[in-house]
Amino acid sequence: MGTVLNIAPVSRIEGHAKIAIHLDDNGNVEDAFLHIQSLRGFEKFIEGRPAEEVPRIVNRICGICPWMHHLASNKAVDGAFGVKPTATGHKLRELCQVMAHINDKILHFFFLASPDFVLGPDADYSVRNVIGIAKANPELATKVVKMRQLGQMMLERFAGKAIHPIAGVVGGFAKPMLEEERLELKRDAETLLDFSLYSLDFAINNVFSKYMDVISELGNITTGFLGTVDREDGSLRIYDGKQRLMKPDGSYVDFEGDDYADYLGEHVEPWAYSKMPYAKSWNEGFDLDLAAPRGIYRSNTLARINVCDKISTPRANAALEQFRSQFGRPAQQTLLYHYARLIEMVYACERTLELLEWDGITDTDIRAKVEPKAGRGVGIVEAPRGTLIHDYVTDANGCIESANLIVGTTHNIAPMNMSVKQAATSLIKDGNYNEGLLNQVEMAVRAYDP
Amino acid sequence: MSPEKIRLNTEWLCDCGGCHVSLVDLHEKILNVLESVQIQKCPVLTDEKGYPEAEIGILTGSIRTEHDRHAAIEMRKKCKTIIAFGTCAVYGGLHGAGLAHSREEIMDHVYLNSPTTRTNFIPATEVDGLEKLVTPIDEVIEVDLYLPGCPPHAHFIFEGLSALIEGTAPRVRQESVCGGCNRTMKKSDVTEIKNSADAVADDDICFLSQGFLCLGSVTLDRCLSPCPNHGIMCTGCAGPTMQILTEPNRDIRTEVSERMARLTEIPSEVIRKSMEQSAKTHYAYAMATKMIGDKPTFLIRKWIAEVEAS
Ligand code: SF4
Ligand code: SF4
Ligand code: SF4
Repeated sequence: MGTVLNIAPVSRIEGHAKIAIHLDDNGNVEDAFLHIQSLRGFEKFIEGRPAEEVPRIVNRICGICPWMHHLASNKAVDGAFGVKPTATGHKLRELCQVMAHINDKILHFFFLASPDFVLGPDADYSVRNVIGIAKANPELATKVVKMRQLGQMMLERFAGKAIHPIAGVVGGFAKPMLEEERLELKRDAETLLDFSLYSLDFAINNVFSKYMDVISELGNITTGFLGTVDREDGSLRIYDGKQRLMKPDGSYVDFEGDDYADYLGEHVEPWAYSKMPYAKSWNEGFDLDLAAPRGIYRSNTLARINVCDKISTPRANAALEQFRSQFGRPAQQTLLYHYARLIEMVYACERTLELLEWDGITDTDIRAKVEPKAGRGVGIVEAPRGTLIHDYVTDANGCIESANLIVGTTHNIAPMNMSVKQAATSLIKDGNYNEGLLNQVEMAVRAYDP
Repeated sequence: MSPEKIRLNTEWLCDCGGCHVSLVDLHEKILNVLESVQIQKCPVLTDEKGYPEAEIGILTGSIRTEHDRHAAIEMRKKCKTIIAFGTCAVYGGLHGAGLAHSREEIMDHVYLNSPTTRTNFIPATEVDGLEKLVTPIDEVIEVDLYLPGCPPHAHFIFEGLSALIEGTAPRVRQESVCGGCNRTMKKSDVTEIKNSADAVADDDICFLSQGFLCLGSVTLDRCLSPCPNHGIMCTGCAGPTMQILTEPNRDIRTEVSERMARLTEIPSEVIRKSMEQSAKTHYAYAMATKMIGDKPTFLIRKWIAEVEAS
């Protein structure tokens, strides 16, 4: 009988997870699993509730990206009630969503992931954290804390609550933007844009160049990708667009969110609570085999950067071109999720400014008239962790009759399992391992930001 | 590490992670806190996997699995002061709504009746066993301090932590959300309950006066009242006020229906009935706590059955 190495919990990630690595008698990896520990049953809790209340309830699925659930849910209820938000309401929602993306990226890259790179994957575990960074590089730490604060405060001032938001309502948005608010937000967004460009440079010069050998190895697998692109020109979109499902060879199909169930299926393995979405429309079934995976695609930053034809804002697009010239399209290296995350942060800052400069943003026509009724609506947004799908059916009173949710992180559960196995197999040989090596297995998971 | 620093452990049980983010979002103040506090275990920030000894232990989330139960007990053993942090920890939180559904119902729904799930069985998994009900942590371990809020506002977190660090008793404020709300309550001639989809409310007048159900008056302020000040009714996410918790014959629906009836022309009986019909919404955050669940006035399963039968 071999042994099982447990890494529990996986730390510096945003969810609850553990890793089990099974070793054979010779101490080599036989198999490895990532377990995501979360089952709360929100689909069931919201049944019977008035649909227009649901956007404020589903926030609590995830306190790391509550804006995403809040807005996907609003979009789904819009669809079920057959209402189109006013132009200003639509743009105010998008504004909050892209601002939330900025804050999330600061949190993930600097607070959670960067200790592995700034202090090194083998740094002692007691200092390998943001507090360690505060000691080693206080200037960087202070800057990062300030920027996260700036971003969260922008949301809190304008929209009331940054964590567990309330301001999106069916048909649009709960409050208009005043001109003073617009000017303040614009000033702060310019500061964040500078910081995003600084972060990208910082990472290119201090992280990606230094750790190239790790990047080209750790957790690498070959899969397809899922993301959202502009309906007209195929550029990167995170709030609204059409879905694009790309095969590992770069060919793709585009589809509208309403039809997601024709393209995606969910698979259950007996050993895990978490369901694993896969590309049903490829008609090849589901298999986690590292050499010949079937139906496996990834979502989240690297996926979005791979599926889009370009980015509509200039600085992010320049960064994308540089990225593609170095890594091609689609890029498969798992640690490049971090690189893609920082490109998206630049996009989110540029897009925030674009929206704040849009003429109608301070209009008071923020909310369309809504009549609760029977219907079905699918609301999709790109959450930081992947394509987030809320699909609701309402009854004649406008209450939820049934709901199906596919949460961003779950798209990556199958590929994360593969990356864990790949990383464990290449790092652990003949029973030799240590804390630093096990942390590298965790790094393969951290890249996905589950 | 200087030995005189106060050691802090945090752990999350079944929750959304938002309370931990709210700790990180003390922002610049976290740098102040770090001058006197050593964060040892904190699943989002550090790689400590065990439970070292500590002066302060912060627990977020409620107990849903055997793993959660074990973690709460370990934290209690190793930490001198335990803070139940956030509405989930204090009252069970939103997923306490599991009370209205059995574990089997939830499992069936997720694995067997979902339209996109192509497999057709419930996994018997290696993941720590799911318990039957969601349990607030003080039904499993002793809790020293309670800080509800979903999540608590940084203002209250900082106030609480500073008091602990300085060794003084934290100030316990008992104001309701109405205290921080800028709307004025006044008598109206409204005769019908409205919902947020029907009409857009006036920004200066209390929601109750306008016929919208707002839970501000029965909810403890641990949030600085953002919702009513941004055009949205309070749904009670910070949990009930002391009065609601301690008086045996008063609860959320009796209080709100009486107050709203005084402010409008709607009979309190009508309001109470309507709140019972949507009890899952109005009791969403606190129904798992015995303080609410065991009240003679709280009959959620009966109300749900009545709605389903109608
Ligand atoms: S209290 Fe609210 S914010 Fe805190 S963990 Fe529970 S659901 Fe999340
Ligand atoms: S009931 Fe609601 S709207 Fe009225 S004063 Fe209280 S918090 Fe404000
Ligand atoms: S719902 Fe009520 S308790 Fe919760 S944040 Fe809003 S005002 Fe505060």
